[in-house]
Amino acid sequence: MIDALFNQPDYLAAKKALDAVALRQQAIASNIANLETPGYKRMDVAASFSTELRRACASRDPQEIAALKPQLEVDPNAVPVSPDGNTVSLEDELFKMNQNSLANTLETQLISTDFYRLKMAITGTAT
Amino acid sequence: MIDILSGVQSTAAALDAERTRLDVISENIANASTTHGADGKPYQRQVVVFESALQQAMGGGPATPTLRVAGIEKDPRPFELVYEPGNPDADSHGMVAMPNVNVQEEMADMISASRTFDANLAVIKNARDMALQVLTIGKH
Repeated sequence: MIDALFNQPDYLAAKKALDAVALRQQAIASNIANLETPGYKRMDVAASFSTELRRACASRDPQEIAALKPQLEVDPNAVPVSPDGNTVSLEDELFKMNQNSLANTLETQLISTDFYRLKMAITGTAT
Repeated sequence: MIDILSGVQSTAAALDAERTRLDVISENIANASTTHGADGKPYQRQVVVFESALQQAMGGGPATPTLRVAGIEKDPRPFELVYEPGNPDADSHGMVAMPNVNVQEEMADMISASRTFDANLAVIKNARDMALQVLTIGKH
């Protein structure tokens, strides 16, 4: 019975998005670590993930959302910024890192609010 | 063990590699005018060579490329000959072979290494802040 509480599409979607945020942080850490490695190609969460998540959310099917798994891939749109073929730009990565940090705040708040609402429904009080 | 700070291994490896680079730069600057090393020859400039290596994340996450020092190699550029007849290392024409270290080049390299070090520290700080936020889930 308790499973039903944690199988709402909104909660599952926020959880998946948080997974993707953690993965993107890992990719950015790798990119900045390899800032000066000749020929390194920047990594990111596969662009297909956000479209798949959007589609799964539209279907409102918990199973479909739960089956999603964000993956890392070499960024196909990145262009070399140095003559050795390295595609990491420090400014770009720091910008993406800050953006990711905001996304992390958003997703944790969403999940927290989900829990808060459940607690409110169970106890019948607002605190 | 779970990976609470995502990507921290890559960053730690990079910090380590940048430190090695700074060490080598300071060695180069210190020996910028060593005309007589342990082998009797002038000091030869050293260069750190980086490579990226795949590292399996803890807890079975995806492998991400991290940074590694592939080796410390000698700069093959020729020594600079300077006319200094009073130097004990001078040849019969009074010429002394000076190390192939260019201090300006080393300083530029040092700034680049220390900026990269800073960028990696910023990544760790960000990962930590994010982890702390996640730990507040459910607290109201």
